[in-house]
Order: sequence, then structure tokens, then C-alpha cells
Amino acid sequence: MSRILVLMLAVVVAFGAAAPSLAQPDTLEKIKGSGVLTIGTRTGSPPFAYVNKNNEWVGFTIDLVEQLVKPSVEKAVGRQIKIEKKESTPPTRIPLLTSNAVDLIAGTMTDTPQRRESVDFSLTFFYTGAQFLVKKGSPIHGINDVSGKRVAAQQGATNAKILREKYPQVQLREFPDQPAAFQALAQGQVDAYTNDGIQLAGLKAKAPNPNEWDVVGDFYSEEPYGMAMRKGDAKFKAAVDAGLKNGFDSGKYFELYEKWFGPKGEVPYPLTPQVKAYLLKQVGK
Amino acid sequence: MRYTFNWSVLWSGQSGHWLLQGLLTTLELSALAWLLAVALGILSGALRTVPFTPLRLAAISYVEFFRNVPLLVWMFFWYFGVPPLLPRPAQDWLFDHGAEFWAAVVALGVYHGARMSEVIRSGIQSIPRTQFEASVAMGLTTFQAYRLIILPVALRLIVPPGTNESLNLLKNSSVALTISVAELTFQTRQIETYTAKAIEALTAGTLIYLVLCLSIATIMARVERHYAIPGLISRTRTT
Repeated sequence: MSRILVLMLAVVVAFGAAAPSLAQPDTLEKIKGSGVLTIGTRTGSPPFAYVNKNNEWVGFTIDLVEQLVKPSVEKAVGRQIKIEKKESTPPTRIPLLTSNAVDLIAGTMTDTPQRRESVDFSLTFFYTGAQFLVKKGSPIHGINDVSGKRVAAQQGATNAKILREKYPQVQLREFPDQPAAFQALAQGQVDAYTNDGIQLAGLKAKAPNPNEWDVVGDFYSEEPYGMAMRKGDAKFKAAVDAGLKNGFDSGKYFELYEKWFGPKGEVPYPLTPQVKAYLLKQVGK
Repeated sequence: MRYTFNWSVLWSGQSGHWLLQGLLTTLELSALAWLLAVALGILSGALRTVPFTPLRLAAISYVEFFRNVPLLVWMFFWYFGVPPLLPRPAQDWLFDHGAEFWAAVVALGVYHGARMSEVIRSGIQSIPRTQFEASVAMGLTTFQAYRLIILPVALRLIVPPGTNESLNLLKNSSVALTISVAELTFQTRQIETYTAKAIEALTAGTLIYLVLCLSIATIMARVERHYAIPGLISRTRTT
């Protein structure tokens, strides 16, 4: 028994000691060799990345990667490349990235200072904030009404953290995925479901009866979405950012935004002047 | 692979507090579910061997129905499926008072009760039939024969597979995070959320489960030695 324990401890220690000594990441070199850029994205986060009715894996973020990032990376490595998609959820995405299983997280990941200690982020490609999804006619109209109420959140999301720290009177219920949280809201296990406004707008658009639901409240958190990369890989980050910058400069980004979030898009979510100014400020406009 | 380890995330900030809370919730959940599972297991395990067909059929239906549906489905069933059957005020009261925890206790207890039942049945059936016949010949009723003779012997025989099943129950309690119970695995994910250090958090969780299970296994090995019945299983000295 004790021998096995010693052996296991030895494995853990060796693992811990060996890992940091490995070389700096060079994703471009890897892509040059394989001709493949592997992205970690979502299957159930419309309209960013999801599997549609025709069983195609599509979305706004996937379009950004294919139409803006891909050409830029191709230019950097000097050859044609393919995009390969893998599912990555909030708890698995950073491990997938650091273990080299994927090269770029292109989903709905908020750029936070804590995460910047583990990964690097691209330019912000989407800007939203936390709101609440409630049944129409609910007494909850925003963050000031949720004290003592049962509120569902998605585990791993930044807004759950804000609620826990700043609004401890809220009865927080954290679910690992969106469908379970929405089910809890629909059945009355909780009074509201909080997430990034755009996620809620997406849920509402997809619900069997969208008119039963309201997305309410001012943003009580800032959620700039970025694409995440392995830390310290400046060349790869430059290639990804150049692609996005080109999209902002040429207006291609706004065409894609209109396609997914315009009045006829998958989830109507108009770009406010403030958000547009924020996005353009990143590229010096 | 390039990953900078930072083990201090496990004791800096609130991590230690969360792990402890998660551990307590896991223990509480598992202990309550275990009591339910053992009670249901003994009852249905015994009923499967009684000489009365309707009771046997009832026990068989329970076991086959509950052990052959995934635990995850049972979690959702008890949390999402059962409360709507109650009146609205009762539902609200439940949801304000930890409905998810009790749903998890019932889901885990009923599911493992069905599995425990088979363990207990195997114990009962390993006892020679003549013992039951002898007890009845002594003037005991069937119920008395089970309570005084059959079950006490069977329970002493099934300590090893019973331990196995109990450890499974403890580890399966992690499925409760799907219905928002903040148990140990939930808390390791929480640490990951706050610190973005997944491997450290998962390692801490793994070690805690390992230590818990090893402690239980060690205690049960002692129980097994102490209660071994000479002539039946005392021949096999366990180490």
C-alpha cells in the first residue's frame, strides 16, 4: 500500500517539476508543419458557435476565425491552412490550450486579469455585460432587485463570482450548463438566470415562446470577449490580432456582426454606439 | 506542454475554505445517501429472497428500474421532475431550503440502494438454505428468521463488496454538481474559475477523494476482520 502511494507521489512531483522547464510555445511553427489551426469553440452557444439545424458547426466567432484570422495566419506561415474545431467548455478550455490540444480558444471567453496570468488574449471581438433573464412581468428589473431571490448562474462564469462577492444576500445556484439553468428558471426553481446579456438574448430567441421572457437590467459587469492563446507566444498573437484589426479597418467585422446580430440575424442584438467606439478604440480609431 | 504550476492557489484566498466546505457537503451528502441506500438495499435485498412472489417481484422491479438508468438522469428526475408534482407554495419552500441537496440525497440513495440490494442478496443466498429451514423449524416466523438469523450473518459476509459499493457512492456524489450542489468537485471547479489553475485544483480534489476512500477502505478492512465469522470466511486473512 505505502509503496504505491510513494510511487504516485513520485509521479505527481516529477510531473510538476518537469513541465515548466519545457520550451516557449511557437504555435506558428506548429501550424506551418501541420497545416492545421485547431480552435476550441462551443457547440451550444448561438450565435457565437453552435451546431445549426443542418448539422453544421457555425457562428459569429467561427466566421471571424475563418474570414479574418485564417487569412492572416496563412500570410504569417506562408501556406494554406485548414481550421479544425473542437468543443471546449469553460472548465476545459484553459487545460485544452495549455496541453496543446487546441491552439486558439474562439468561443465566448471573457478577457479577465486573472485569466491573463495563464493565457494571452487577442483584441476584444465582442463586448457585453451581465444581465438577468426573467419571466415577463417578474418583479426583478436589475441587480438592485435580486436580494434574497434565487438566481441561477453558469458555473465558471465571471458574473457568478461578482454576485457571490458583492451581493452575498442572493441565493446563488450554479449550474454547469445553460440548458439546466434555463430549465430551473422555466420551472421556478430559481427566479432569474444571470449571464452575459448576449447569451440571454440568445436563449430568449431560441426558447419555444420568446415573448414569455425578458432580458432586464443594466450591465453589472463588463464582459469583453477575446480569443485566448498560449501565454508568451507573441508571433502568433500578432498574427491573430492583425486579422481582427484588418476586419475592423475594412468594415468586414461589421458586416459579419450584422449577419449574426442584425435585425434579421440569428440573435438580434444591435451594436450600440458606445460598444462600437470601444471596439474601434482598440485599433486606434 | 507549457504550464506554470502554482500550488499556492490551493491555500491562498478562499480556496482552502471552499475545499473544506465542499468536503463537508460531500461527506454530508454521501452519509445521508448511504443510510438511505443501506436501508433500501437491506429491505429489497431481503425481499428478493423471501418465499412470497409479489414481494419478490416488487423488489426485482425496484432494483432493475433504478440501477439500469444512469445516475445523471436520476439527479435531473428528482430535481426537475418531482417538485412540479407538489403545490406551488410547497415548491417555493423547498427551493428556498436546499431542494437541490435533498434531491441529490434521494437520487444517490435510491440509485445505490438498488445496487446495494444485489450485494445483500448475494450475501443472503450464500447462506445455506438449511439455516432458514432450521430457524423456521425452531418456531421463528419468516420475519424473525430474517431479522435474527439470516440478515446478521449476511451483513457480516458482504463487508468487502459493501465497502466497494459505498466507495462508489462517495465518488458518485460528484454528479450532484449538475443540479448545483456545491460539493467537492464543484468547489475544485470554483477554484479553477477564480485562479485559472485547473490542474492544481483537480489534483487537490483527486487527493482528497483518494484519502477519503483509502480511510474508509482501511476502516472497513478492520470491521471485516473483527466481524469475520469463523468457519465461513475467517479462513481468508486479509491484509
